[in-house]
Amino acid sequence: MNKSLRGALLCASVAGALTCAGPAAAKLNSCNDPIVLGTTISETGPFSTLADKWRKLTEVFAEEVNKGGGIMVKACNKKVPVKFVIYDDQSVPATAVSLYEKMATVDNVDFFVGPDWSSLGGPVPPIAEKHKIPMVAANVASPALYDRGLKYLWGTPFPVVPRWSERYFDMVSKQTPKPQSIFFVTHDNPVMKGITAYWSKKAEAQGIKVLGSETFSPDLKDFTAMIAKLRAAKPDIIYIAAFDSASVPLVQQMRQLKVKAMDVHHVMLTGSLARQVGKDIEGMTGELSWYPGIKGAYSDLVETVMQRSDVNMFDYIWTLGRLSSYLVMMQAIEKAGAIDREKVKDALYKGTFKSPAGDIVFDERGFPDTGAFTVQMQNGKVNVVWPPHVATSKPVWPSPSWQ
Amino acid sequence: MTLEALIQVLIGGLLLGGLYALVAFGLSLIYGVVRILNFSHGTLLSVGGVLASLLYATYKLHPVFLILILVPAFFAFGYLFYAYLLQPLERRSHFESTVGTVLVTVGALLILSDLTAKLAGATQRNIPLRFEAIEIGEIVISTTQIWILGGIAVLTVAMQVFLRKTWFGRAIRAVTQDPVGARICGVDSSRMKAATFAFGSSIVAVAAVLYSMSFPVDPYMGFGLTVKAFTIIILGGIGNLVGALLAGLFLGVAEGLTGFFWKPEWAPALSVILLLLILVVFPKGLGRSR
Repeated sequence: MNKSLRGALLCASVAGALTCAGPAAAKLNSCNDPIVLGTTISETGPFSTLADKWRKLTEVFAEEVNKGGGIMVKACNKKVPVKFVIYDDQSVPATAVSLYEKMATVDNVDFFVGPDWSSLGGPVPPIAEKHKIPMVAANVASPALYDRGLKYLWGTPFPVVPRWSERYFDMVSKQTPKPQSIFFVTHDNPVMKGITAYWSKKAEAQGIKVLGSETFSPDLKDFTAMIAKLRAAKPDIIYIAAFDSASVPLVQQMRQLKVKAMDVHHVMLTGSLARQVGKDIEGMTGELSWYPGIKGAYSDLVETVMQRSDVNMFDYIWTLGRLSSYLVMMQAIEKAGAIDREKVKDALYKGTFKSPAGDIVFDERGFPDTGAFTVQMQNGKVNVVWPPHVATSKPVWPSPSWQ
Repeated sequence: MTLEALIQVLIGGLLLGGLYALVAFGLSLIYGVVRILNFSHGTLLSVGGVLASLLYATYKLHPVFLILILVPAFFAFGYLFYAYLLQPLERRSHFESTVGTVLVTVGALLILSDLTAKLAGATQRNIPLRFEAIEIGEIVISTTQIWILGGIAVLTVAMQVFLRKTWFGRAIRAVTQDPVGARICGVDSSRMKAATFAFGSSIVAVAAVLYSMSFPVDPYMGFGLTVKAFTIIILGGIGNLVGALLAGLFLGVAEGLTGFFWKPEWAPALSVILLLLILVVFPKGLGRSR
């Protein structure tokens, strides 16, 4: 056997082996195969505490949808089951980028749902753009990421910055005694800084004087200096815009140093924070995108999926954003009436979609208008306190535990 | 800003600095005797803090008992770590030995962090033991802080006495100052190095318990503490415990004042800035080595 023939055979066998060993590629636009949604979840790495149960959640979601036959596709004249290709992005942007590239070229997924977090939402969507695959990202909340002229990106973060504390400030405006001043404490993170920038202006517009604004690094453990400034300023409201874990020492030290205020508001009031700071969380207010019990579109499906996958909304507060990306993609396929990327893209453009927490309306950039409910920790339990028509309890104002 | 607020910040800075100093004590001793830059030193604190927090949460053990449990455990870990992973590298060339120790200690840092996160979770934990605070006007002093500061002071004095008055302490100092002379006088330098490494590790156990009584710990916070400890031993002098204590207090107070007079987000970066500054302006260090 001459060298060139041997080389050709070797190449052919390597190529054959690679083809056989690779994951089964989906058949695009097929009515006889499941609709394949590609996603990554941060199962490991720093964001894993927020998302480590979402693989099970996603699998259960597919099972529940497929129980009814799947997604109605008009062009197929039948319901087509849905299937997820899931990878762990390890909370690392570069890993996420390579995985979405793989899903586009090797797994040949039909559509993308996810990823989460603004740090991944920056580099990943250009992959969808390159391959012209519609992507409904989940918890990618930075509005700037939607200002890049990308035509295949939508997102379902719950809530978005311009509506984050809308109901809280509405509640505050109706309380007696009326708060006169506020102090912002912000975690050094793009989303949290965005929240402070937006809501400090809104507070001023509402007649609440901003007495100060301090930013802290996630590595900061000793908050004495910041708390000394807080105590000296004596604000009526202390507004903490921070991820839950980063603010654990802040909340603990505020209690140790006997900080007083009408209310201490935390934009990420979570089960994890409650477990870590214990009784120190009592009386604090915060936001929650949705909770089981509020009836809305797909609320039964969402409740069942969360129950079966053992996901608690208070522990995994970004779950609605993640599930909404699936719900929106499902509805977009139904609206398009075909498993066709361009038709689904057209259906998503400036569309209105249903969710348990209300309608999701996308603007021309693909950015939604999702809001949140105001909650308060009362006697160790989280209660929805605003708006009144869905509240499970009345707000306690001013919070006695911070007096 | 009021004087009360400034005093409050100074008290917080002293507590933080004292804890930094405790971390630096062990690293300083280890480098002084064994001549190894132990990059996993701060990670030992984070592992110890997580262990102490878990033990407290499960059995509600008093911090003194936590120290009594963790100190021998960390001593044993340190001894075995040195004897089996670091000592064999001494037989290699200087270059291989130096690179090898860096790889082993950095590898240990990564493995210990990931293993702790896998077994205990990556979330922050602490020992939420809180005593009644003392209020003097606008100044609030937590009695927990007073206990911790007292503990740091007692430990510093005890270590100073131990290093000066006991045979083991004198042997450590002898190996630090003149390894060849110490060997001529009958000090088994190999065993002394292993024991010092173990002793330095066991000090971290004490620091871990005291630290987690004040601040949350997580498996990945260790390297930042190691950098602070390096800054402290360069400021205070290798093997100089009093120097390390003063340097630690200086760093803690400086971080507090940075947050108070400037911006809190710059406080954690201060140690790195100081370290670079000292290395550039005073390449031979500020403190006197012992």
